Amino acid sequence: MKLTESFRISWRAITGHKLRSSLTTLGIIIGVGAVIVFMVLGGAFEANIAQDIREGNDEPGMWVNTQQESSGFGGSQILTNPIYTESDVAALESIDGVDFVAPEANKRAIQLRHGDQQQTGQFNIQATDPQRLDGDLSAGELFEADDEIVLPADAADIVDGGLAVGDEVQINYDGGPTKTFTVVGIVEESPGGGNNRIPTAGYISLDNYGTTVETPDGDTEKAYASMIVAAESTDTLDETQAAVLDYLKTDSDAAQLKGDDQVIKAQTVDDAVDQIGDIIDQFTFLIGGIAAISLVVGSIGIANIMIVSVTERTREIGIMKAIGARKRDIIQLFIVEALILGVIGAIIGVAVGLGIGYLGATGIGWPMVYPVDWIAIAVVIGMTVGVLSGLYPAWRGARVDPIEALRHE
Amino acid sequence: MRHEVVWMAVTETSQQSPSATTVELQDVRRTYHLGEPVHALDGVSISLPAGSFTAVMGPSGSGKSTLMNMVGCLDTPDEGDVTVAGQDVTVLSGNERAKLRGTELGFIFQQFNLMPRLTAAENVTMPLVFHNDLDDGRRQRAETLLERVGLGDRLDHTPPELSGGQRQRVAIARALVNEPSLVLADEPTGNLDTDTGAEIMELFEQLHEAGRTILMVTHERHIAEHADRIIHLVDGQIEEIEQVGGER
Repeated sequence: MKLTESFRISWRAITGHKLRSSLTTLGIIIGVGAVIVFMVLGGAFEANIAQDIREGNDEPGMWVNTQQESSGFGGSQILTNPIYTESDVAALESIDGVDFVAPEANKRAIQLRHGDQQQTGQFNIQATDPQRLDGDLSAGELFEADDEIVLPADAADIVDGGLAVGDEVQINYDGGPTKTFTVVGIVEESPGGGNNRIPTAGYISLDNYGTTVETPDGDTEKAYASMIVAAESTDTLDETQAAVLDYLKTDSDAAQLKGDDQVIKAQTVDDAVDQIGDIIDQFTFLIGGIAAISLVVGSIGIANIMIVSVTERTREIGIMKAIGARKRDIIQLFIVEALILGVIGAIIGVAVGLGIGYLGATGIGWPMVYPVDWIAIAVVIGMTVGVLSGLYPAWRGARVDPIEALRHE
Repeated sequence: MRHEVVWMAVTETSQQSPSATTVELQDVRRTYHLGEPVHALDGVSISLPAGSFTAVMGPSGSGKSTLMNMVGCLDTPDEGDVTVAGQDVTVLSGNERAKLRGTELGFIFQQFNLMPRLTAAENVTMPLVFHNDLDDGRRQRAETLLERVGLGDRLDHTPPELSGGQRQRVAIARALVNEPSLVLADEPTGNLDTDTGAEIMELFEQLHEAGRTILMVTHERHIAEHADRIIHLVDGQIEEIEQVGGER
């Protein structure tokens, strides 16, 4: 029997019981729909975060830091050991494709004060190379002297009315002295890098930083825990990243100074986006997997209805066998019927899932994402579920004895 | 005579030499074990020559249905030989018997047994569908046969939209679509009123005149008298083979 014929005959059986067929596909619709909704929302969330990360990080470059190797659950830990020496910075700057190198040194502050207003908490004050803030300034200019500070816009807003260029701000270092700075500039977006867990409240000159280490050559040099390496072009970023890593892991002072279980990383924005994407993906899969359980329920629904329908159509099966249908013809008919139910359920489920996902994502303000691979997977799962749940009923149908079946009322 | 000419046109490929035997039953025994053994067929030997029209009569429980199932390749004997269209049915697998039914036999039932959701034309083509016969000409063949049985204007009606007599006409068209060597009819007028039954028997006469081999089970004498001969079954054995005129 040709497949096209079984499709025609099975389609008649499905449309002959519209309500029952609709209720049967409902299980698959809900299952596939739920999976697609979570995939859309997960993807939209990821896209949203990626957008946030890329915003303000449109300059090509990478963040060099040191991480503890494989700390198990919770991902890798970023370390604060100063191992990147002045010689390393100079060597990196001479690599082809590197625009400039901006070392970072974070000092922990516990209080910001302006006049009689103060904000207490945990802040990073970052000593860095002013070049990396170039282009991000929304007001004023870059710092030059060691008592000048550039504030991120959100830090400038912590006092009523906001801090403006020319204002003075006192910073109380953790366990250390208080120092007064003059605000010389405001940056709109924080330029990336740094430890995101603690907000950066200001950028100051590297002259404020004096930690030194003894280099493997026996000299004493200033050293930093992390740095921004700006590249000349996005097109050659991958090559530049490879060259930077190659130097850092072989010839640098940092390679000698780091601990044995520590790894030097040079992360581009894409790397950061990928890393966060991986984490979100894992959560999405977890939730999507739970949603997929409803697919199992849906397949049981199809199997149940198909068994009922085999019993109900015992006489029809008998007729078909009497006029020449073989076992495989009967099996084919019922599997095709289950397959059609599964595929229709999957297609409607994808549509419903995309619809709800779209409403959810746009409602929250995330960009809409179409999880193309998951749509394909959902349709394949719908087909598989259909065929699997049709197998047993089809086998029962094929075993029907035509003599008995024709006597059946 | 117009009818007959058209019948011949459709059926000519199945014309066989009058001496050929379509069905041969040799000492067939079939026993059902329902508590105590029931001998449904107890040593039955029948030969159906090509072009013959045979009726089977007998009280209920006489083995009529079992005989029909044997000849229809739906059942196999415990002992004895069954040969249908030159093939030894006892050695065939289930699928091979299905193929034999689909290609060499045509079934007409008391309950009509049409597929309820398929149209008249689709019902007629069903036996061809299972064996991928005549892919392109199916619809044409169905239309010709339905016109032949007087349902040219009911091609796309489903069985629930047809009367009992019309349904049986669809079933007759279906039984002929595969150019069968043998047409099997089980109480074909049992569910019809007398007038409609007479019309259906007229169709059987036309089939017979066109050279079809027919085996018909009935319990009504006036229906059985349409045949050339009547086999009387009692308790699974042939009691008598009665030659009748074939004309009322």
